[in-house]
Amino acid sequence: MKSYFYFLLPLLLLIVSCEDDDDPVSTEAELSIAFRGEFGEDDLAIQSATYDYPTGEQLKVLLFQYYLSDLELLPADGGDAVRLSDIELIRWMSATEGPVATKTYTVPTGDYQGIRFGLGVKPELNAQDPNNSPADGTLNENEFWNASARYVFAKIEANADMEGDGVFDTPLTYHMGSDALYTTITFTQDFSLDGSNDPQLTIISDVLAALSDGNNTFDISDADQQRVHGGNQAIASDIWNRLANQFELEVR
Amino acid sequence: MRLEGIHPYFTIVVAFCHCLYRLFSSFKKIFIEGSPLSSEERAAWTSEQTRRVLRRSCAAKGAGGEVSVFIAALLLLLTACQPAEEPVLIPEPEAFASIIYPSDNPTTRAGLALGRDLFFDPILSADSTISCGTCHQPERAFTDGLEKSIGIYGRVGRRNAPGLTNVGYLYETLFWDGRADNLEAQALHPIAEANEMGGSWPLVVSKLRQHADYWPRLQEAFGLTAKKELSPDHVGKALAQFQRSLISGDSKYDRVERGVDTYDELEALGYAIFFDLADDPDGAFANLPTGECAHCHTPPHFTNQRFFNNGLDLAHDLADFDDAGRGAITENPFDRGVFRTPTLRNIALTAPYMHDGRMKTLAEVVDHYNSGGQYAENRSANVFPLGLNPRQKAGLLAFLQTLTDTSFVNNENYRPLQLSGE
Ligand code: HEC
Ligand code: HEC
Repeated sequence: MKSYFYFLLPLLLLIVSCEDDDDPVSTEAELSIAFRGEFGEDDLAIQSATYDYPTGEQLKVLLFQYYLSDLELLPADGGDAVRLSDIELIRWMSATEGPVATKTYTVPTGDYQGIRFGLGVKPELNAQDPNNSPADGTLNENEFWNASARYVFAKIEANADMEGDGVFDTPLTYHMGSDALYTTITFTQDFSLDGSNDPQLTIISDVLAALSDGNNTFDISDADQQRVHGGNQAIASDIWNRLANQFELEVR
Repeated sequence: MRLEGIHPYFTIVVAFCHCLYRLFSSFKKIFIEGSPLSSEERAAWTSEQTRRVLRRSCAAKGAGGEVSVFIAALLLLLTACQPAEEPVLIPEPEAFASIIYPSDNPTTRAGLALGRDLFFDPILSADSTISCGTCHQPERAFTDGLEKSIGIYGRVGRRNAPGLTNVGYLYETLFWDGRADNLEAQALHPIAEANEMGGSWPLVVSKLRQHADYWPRLQEAFGLTAKKELSPDHVGKALAQFQRSLISGDSKYDRVERGVDTYDELEALGYAIFFDLADDPDGAFANLPTGECAHCHTPPHFTNQRFFNNGLDLAHDLADFDDAGRGAITENPFDRGVFRTPTLRNIALTAPYMHDGRMKTLAEVVDHYNSGGQYAENRSANVFPLGLNPRQKAGLLAFLQTLTDTSFVNNENYRPLQLSGE
């Protein structure tokens, strides 16, 4: 075959001087971050668990999800933050899934003093249209609401038993997000990564804590507060604020 | 590999070598390993991106501008060695994120034409009476008008045939219960299904091997040399290529989105209900009920491809569902009675409705959602009584009609958009 002639030259050159593209880099570590969902004291279980609400109702959670932008590690020496990801969607939506979702990143080894991310879709990405994202991408059309409301940053959906009759027939849906709600969250905690004995980082989010902080509990019995979508964000602003405040970082 | 501070001549040689190495690996893939290029690589071969991709892999190594000389040489090499069966690019509406083509089944002219002929040919059924097109008729947006499909020997299946409009955009799973991962795999089901085409794969494959027309075309489409190489996968691939060409993007909805058409008053009302415009407290529709439809029937394909219970059957106990749907696949009790959200494109043409065809008209469907449906603890929280008055229901119906794309169903080639070379 004539085309084999063309292989000859590259082959020879290859043998003479070409090695693998990527030199092994010993200064990098694989960091896996676990995202754990909770409901109060319990691990989050979609549909299969029944949770008590502080005002006496019971809930079955159908969906909990949130976007994270600019997930970054903060070096101990105060140097530039190490970007792990521009955008992630963390989601619990099926009874077949466990409470922990894990993402793995390659990061420089070294000492760190914390971790930082923006809750929501950062304005620069929120301005993009979903047809510019790969069909199966994190910013695809599924979480895009419309041209003015843009991406939905976080969703909580549940069915509630309001009367204590064991019938979960009151739907609750809270879909939140807007550029104004985008919130940066920073955890200050020292840890070191050397690629061998690395600590497990877990970012914990608690659905109950977003609805109730002990003093204030979102009133789910008010029919006007059972559904927040798109433009009527004002009703959910305290859910959003509590959601943004309740994240915890566990380093073990 | 760091190249700074090394003699420039050496740098150029290394960069050249690297480029040729890349090129070689790709050719090796085609000629030696026999697998076609990935879609990314394919795009690189045929488009202006070639230069960018090569520059990224070569110039980025530190050799800088000198590499461009070699790139020119490489491009020459490339044109000299193009593979015979080139992928065709099927144009897609700009409003859609592109179809994700599997790297091992790019659409080619030969494969597409073959897939189309096989789709409408009863040769794939046991007694040569039923084709895919029997149940997926183009003029009905690839449905059959029946509650439940009737297959070989008049056997009634257990579900309603879904339309295939824009089916190539479904990247998650296929079927009402999501039991197939992609179109290539899906096509293997109906042929062997007792209630559909009732066939056996060994029989179908042997018929195709003997076939005076299909065998040479299969050879051409998939580069087969010997008859024993023909497998069900090749049939699945050809059928998938045809189905990925079933692109609809010219309904009234699409035209309004593009700004070249406008809704009448009733359609505009329905649009507002479908997309919950009442959520905007300052908007023109602030006092309207919200239909919540777009949470699941998410544009542009009017499905988010996820599984839901939309309240069709009363189930005090999740074990009560006759058709377990997704639950039969995942074996999770909370997935019982849960089905994949279907597209609503061309919905006015695809009656009857729902996984078992229980609703004869769209008016029945709208009444169903308006009632909030029946209780099950896994019913979606976005399905609840809507409180639509008759005019609002008529509006929603009018909007659903705007999803009909007549150019799609009337297309003589059963593909709405013209193929172009590249
Ligand atoms: C006897 C009627 C019948 C025949 C023949 C038939 N189908 Fe279907 N098709 C159906 C039914 C019914 C379903 C839904 C089944 C389910 O989800 O359980 C379906 C589902 C599909 C789907 C999934 C669509 C989606 O949205 O998930 C595709 C794709 C498809 N068929 C393609 C084909 C192809 C290709 C052939 C020929 C090889 C074919 N069908 C033959 C009745 C038929
Ligand atoms: C919670 C998600 C969800 C919501 C909200 C929703 N649907 Fe559906 N829709 C589905 C699912 C799932 C099915 C298939 C159900 C089945 O057959 O078991 C479906 C089926 C349909 C069908 C029949 C499609 C076919 O090919 O048979 C139509 C029409 C439809 N929905 C219209 C609407 C309209 C109009 C609204 C708003 C009033 C709406 N849907 C709201 C999930 C949803």
